[in-house]
Amino acid sequence: MTENADLEALRGEVRSFLEAEKPHGWRDASRTQEDFVKTQRDWFAKLVKAGYAIPHWPKEYPGGGRSLAEQKVIYEELAKADCPRLLLSFVSTYHAFATLHECASEEQKAKYMPRILEGETWCQGFSEPGAGSDLAALKCKAVREVRDGKEVYVVNGQKVWSTMAQFADMCLLLVRTSSEGAKQAGITYLLMDMKTPGVSVSPIHQIQGDEEFSEIFLDNVEIPVEQRVGEEGKGWAVAQATLASERGLTLMELGYRMRGALGRVAELIRTHGHEEDRGVLRDFGTLVTEVDAVCAIADRFLDNRIKGVERIGDASIVKNAYSRALRAYSKLGLRLGGMAEQYVAPITFGDLNTGNWMADFMNSYAWTIAGGSEEVQRNIIAERMLEMPREPKSWVV
Amino acid sequence: MIELNELTSAAQKAFPADKLSPDRDASWELMAEMGWLMIRVPEEDGGLGLGREASTAIHYEMGRVLSRAPLIPAQLGLQAIVLSKTLADRADWIERICGGEYVPLHMRAARLTPGDDGALSGTISGVLEADMAGAVVASLPHGYAIVPLDAEGVSLNERPVWDPSRRMFDLVLDGYRPDPALDLAEVKSAPGLHDALAPEAHLAIAADCLGGAAAALEMTVEYMTMRKQFDRPIAMFQALKHRAADMKTRIVVAEALMWSYVHDEDVDIIEFGSMKTLAGETYQYVTEEMIQLHGGIGLTEEHQSHLFMKRAMLNPHFAGEPDLWKERMGREALAAMR
Repeated sequence: MTENADLEALRGEVRSFLEAEKPHGWRDASRTQEDFVKTQRDWFAKLVKAGYAIPHWPKEYPGGGRSLAEQKVIYEELAKADCPRLLLSFVSTYHAFATLHECASEEQKAKYMPRILEGETWCQGFSEPGAGSDLAALKCKAVREVRDGKEVYVVNGQKVWSTMAQFADMCLLLVRTSSEGAKQAGITYLLMDMKTPGVSVSPIHQIQGDEEFSEIFLDNVEIPVEQRVGEEGKGWAVAQATLASERGLTLMELGYRMRGALGRVAELIRTHGHEEDRGVLRDFGTLVTEVDAVCAIADRFLDNRIKGVERIGDASIVKNAYSRALRAYSKLGLRLGGMAEQYVAPITFGDLNTGNWMADFMNSYAWTIAGGSEEVQRNIIAERMLEMPREPKSWVV
Repeated sequence: MIELNELTSAAQKAFPADKLSPDRDASWELMAEMGWLMIRVPEEDGGLGLGREASTAIHYEMGRVLSRAPLIPAQLGLQAIVLSKTLADRADWIERICGGEYVPLHMRAARLTPGDDGALSGTISGVLEADMAGAVVASLPHGYAIVPLDAEGVSLNERPVWDPSRRMFDLVLDGYRPDPALDLAEVKSAPGLHDALAPEAHLAIAADCLGGAAAALEMTVEYMTMRKQFDRPIAMFQALKHRAADMKTRIVVAEALMWSYVHDEDVDIIEFGSMKTLAGETYQYVTEEMIQLHGGIGLTEEHQSHLFMKRAMLNPHFAGEPDLWKERMGREALAAMR
């Protein structure tokens, strides 16, 4: 009971903070990428100051040391209040944090963790044109050499799908230091300053007009050996820490946000005079229940994590359920909006449920493809939860 | 929580997964013996006083084994009697039903017309396993009441259904004169009683659906792992295993919604009805896939796939049609989002 009382007290604190400080009109202020980045930086700084930006960090850091149950309360309130999601700082506060916290040296931690709180942002240099779902097939090559009396890795190659790399100060970089043995064994993990000579970034123009991801080209980039996390050739294990950093809060938050955004579909129904159209009402009712169910599974998933009874594959189920519902949500909006949605309208950066239905529909693919595609999640569910046999490894022509 | 686990494992022991659709009358006796008829009856009325969690867990297990014994209509009929403020010998009824007498609630709407003299004629449909009932709890024009099957003007008409795990009857009234001593709720308090029973019905049906869906998926995965074509188990093919993964995903998501409603006091009837609809459609989807993934054997009567599919096709039509709940959900949400 006292635990619940503490959580409710925290909820009250977050609510009063949001009432006073919540950014209004942030969507209108996020019509260009530059403006979006600015609103993101401002909101992150405010949350750091208030102690709600990094609840999952250890308690040595201001605002850290929160239990998962407390984190859930904070994220629930941020979502319900329709605040901007922390996208720009997501990789730094989750992926970079987890990597540094779990695998990095004391020097590395002391150097980078405080800078994250000051607003330094990170990107992830994992995927490559030939290494997507099969990440361990990555080829970006690093050779250890002594240059100007210093030991460095000289890196050459290309990375792709790096979220907001064009604004990043640092990069979590996976490189290949050896081609011998198992493909996982030759991978090394480096921390790269994005201002290093030889690094160039080129944003990817997405089908909806956003530029959320970039390609990173590395041309004889020299990265000091001290910037390595873990041992040479042991980067794959470090990468697992990076990838496991997200604790299920995002999908819960996104579920609540989609539930809040159902009002946009209701608005369409009224605008188009469908209030008595029973077919439309049924489709809307079906969607409402589907979204409620997504919130329920995301909630249950987090509760299971809090209780320590999570099973392998649970996260895949939540992700596929959310991404399917998001697609259904945007498609219903697109259908009800009719021809009007086919005229180009301004997009909002950094939001999945904007009411620009064509943009939202196209954006919904990010969730069925990024972060482990829907198909990869299905493999995990089938092979690791349902214990169905894997496909044979070798492929003979 | 321990209580719930105990109930579940007792149910699994009494109704093992490898004996699908066990004999109805033997199951019924066993259920009465295990006290399942009284789990939702308050302690002050001589019951076990357990909550929704307990009955949902049991209906889930009975869905898994395609139970023929009509525990759902029995629980609802008994709950109506427990909630009654007017029934003359209420305690006696409760005791008899807890002991194994079957007094079901009908699972479909009644269409009745009162004559000038107050006598009723018409049909009350969706009475399950009525051949083993002595009386039925029915929604009559003047309110809920117990209708004894041996009363004058009352007869049963069996309506054979595709689902072989259930027998369904119409209760036909022809000039039946209700006995005021058997009234459960008058018209003005009938909506209250209906609103108390409806969520129970939706939860029970949803649990039956999702228990059945879980068992159907397990059987399908087992078959796919065992069945070989092109020198390998068909479970190895991604095109097929992905379908199993989707079945799992939809079941787990519908279960999450169901369990969240079990614990939530603020959920309204429309949400319950929509949750039941989701569970029902999940069951249908899973069993449709089950037959397809079994191939030819799934079309044979000898194989058990069709038992799940037929129950899945029937279930969603109890306690309000799916389309009704979808429309009402849409309407309610629209009104709430102004």
